[in-house]
Amino acid sequence: MAPPPEPAAGPVARPGGAGPGEPVLRATGLHKTYRGGILSRGGAVRAVAGVDLELRAGETLGIVGESGCGKSTLARMLVGLERPDQGEVAFRDRPFFTRGGVPRDIRRRVQMVFQDPLTSLNPRMTVLDIVAEPLRVHRLCADARALRDRVGELLSLVGLQPERMNRYPHEFSGGQRQRIGIARALATEPDVIVCDEPVSALDMSVQAQVVNLFAELQRTLGVALVFIAHDLAVVRHVSHRVAVMYLGRLAETGPAAEVYGSPAHPYTMALLSAAPAAKPRLRGRSRIMLAGDPPSPVAPPPGCRFHTRCWKATDRCAEREPALEPVSGDGHDAACHYAERPS
Amino acid sequence: MSESPVLEIRDLHVTFTARGREIHAVRGVDLTIERGQTLALLGESGSGKSVTAKAVMGLLDQPGVEVRSAVARLGGRDLLTMSAEERRALRGSAMTLVFQDALSALNPVLSVGDQIGELFRVHRGLSRKEARARSVELLDLVGIPAAATRIGDYPHQFSGGMRQRILVAMAVALEPDLIIADEPTTALDVTVQAQILELIDRLRRELGTAVLLITHDLGVAAEVSDRVAVMYAGRLVESGQAEELYDLPAHPYTAALLAAVPDLDRPASELRAIPGAPPSPATTPPGCSFAPRCGRASDVCASTRPALVPLESGTGRYAACHHVKEMLDGAPA
Repeated sequence: MAPPPEPAAGPVARPGGAGPGEPVLRATGLHKTYRGGILSRGGAVRAVAGVDLELRAGETLGIVGESGCGKSTLARMLVGLERPDQGEVAFRDRPFFTRGGVPRDIRRRVQMVFQDPLTSLNPRMTVLDIVAEPLRVHRLCADARALRDRVGELLSLVGLQPERMNRYPHEFSGGQRQRIGIARALATEPDVIVCDEPVSALDMSVQAQVVNLFAELQRTLGVALVFIAHDLAVVRHVSHRVAVMYLGRLAETGPAAEVYGSPAHPYTMALLSAAPAAKPRLRGRSRIMLAGDPPSPVAPPPGCRFHTRCWKATDRCAEREPALEPVSGDGHDAACHYAERPS
Repeated sequence: MSESPVLEIRDLHVTFTARGREIHAVRGVDLTIERGQTLALLGESGSGKSVTAKAVMGLLDQPGVEVRSAVARLGGRDLLTMSAEERRALRGSAMTLVFQDALSALNPVLSVGDQIGELFRVHRGLSRKEARARSVELLDLVGIPAAATRIGDYPHQFSGGMRQRILVAMAVALEPDLIIADEPTTALDVTVQAQILELIDRLRRELGTAVLLITHDLGVAAEVSDRVAVMYAGRLVESGQAEELYDLPAHPYTAALLAAVPDLDRPASELRAIPGAPPSPATTPPGCSFAPRCGRASDVCASTRPALVPLESGTGRYAACHHVKEMLDGAPA
């Protein structure tokens, strides 16, 4: 058993390739609209509509939001699996989307871990082949022997027995499968790993193991993480900075302690207030109850996208879309005309 | 409290037989729910919580499944001696089930008015027109705006949260004694989940129905339940009043679960993961099922299975652990 990792308390200098705090991944003005096929009557789905993000070396950026808010589309653009309609993603100031596709060395440095380990691992490949595939693609091992050694090393790094590398994914439990996915992502020595709901398919007793593994890997390897989840408490636990998404846009972003401690955007407040707490004594506390469901991204409301469910909304919110503006010094921004500001 | 409980189940066993192998999914579960009370049955996947719910509903009468219990009573009626036909009449009227996935639980080619109305027509013999009027009332009750105009809409025309409300409406339609809610909010977003939990809780208070809430989420269980029963590998390991159980868990598994869940208010605290994975229902270790993952396990745990016994607190707490005294005294593992 690995020793329990120390909690992610704040951005600290970490060992690793890049200097601490230096941006490794930067997204500017990302837009992605999915146009429907002949069967869709609703029209285009505006999944991501203008997102700017910055990920610094060695930090974890948590992205929270409800289903349909565009967080998975954003994740796929951040690794270059999806090409944005507008905007650009840059890895250490080098653009992703060139005429010839995403350059191979950028793809090597930016990896992804998927939500469902069973569908993201080929059932007919052994663990050895799965983890070795990126090594082969990027020609990182000289011969078969070096390949096996490296795969064994990666498996031990994520807490799996190297002797089991000739087995198939179905022979592993859910948590172990997710570890295989993580080992595959680590194979190319990435600087950035984008994790899309990496623990939400896992049982709660196993979820903590994987969350701790991420924290430990970041501490030892200095890799920067984008951690996407709908579970607010998990994101709080792993992230240095947090971005809250609503219908394709960022509602609020800032240091995790600030966003959770003094949320500025009404949507963030509502999310935090609605999260069930494992404390029966807190029952009956006053909670912000939002009316209705999130609107469809096919026809987002005009003005502020949240105004249809917001208790603070006025006419101004229905007309003018608020921009992401600072609410306090240290990079805490919110997109709300009536954001709570520390007085 | 002289009134008999709404649901009383003693020593429930469910065994699946497939390809000559027996899988004991549920092994001796006792459940008691009083009128107007919510009992949360908490467990991870494979713990047998959903199978328990289906067995109570009588939805497992099929080849290859053996369900037996010592006592099974619903509101004074004995479910064991009842004919299959009588039991079928109870489903939907005296006890109802709210499923996790509303889209697959509703019939896509019938309007919601027809589906809710069917309950009144089949169980109460109302006419089409009366049934429709009652359906509109119900949709109102569960908070669907403009119920009268939406009664003819089909399930796909509603959002996920609205569909779950329709399922809840169908569950309370005939004023049942017991509602079984099987992961009713797992597929929903946080803000919508809060609405549905509040709705179920409000209806429980207003109608005095008993609720059996099946969930894997410690937070959801804490929000709405009076009592909590924790299931592991087909057995109850602990049960008690929600506040007591969360404050001072008597079973190491409950304690470990609570420590493994990140806390919004105490982010800096470390997550204490439980080593290993839950045992598969096909191969459960002898002795205590949790022993291989338990920090307190001793020799007796590996060989002898602890029985679920009442604790001395006198507040209706039960636990199945050889080390329960150390747990309650707070001795370090």
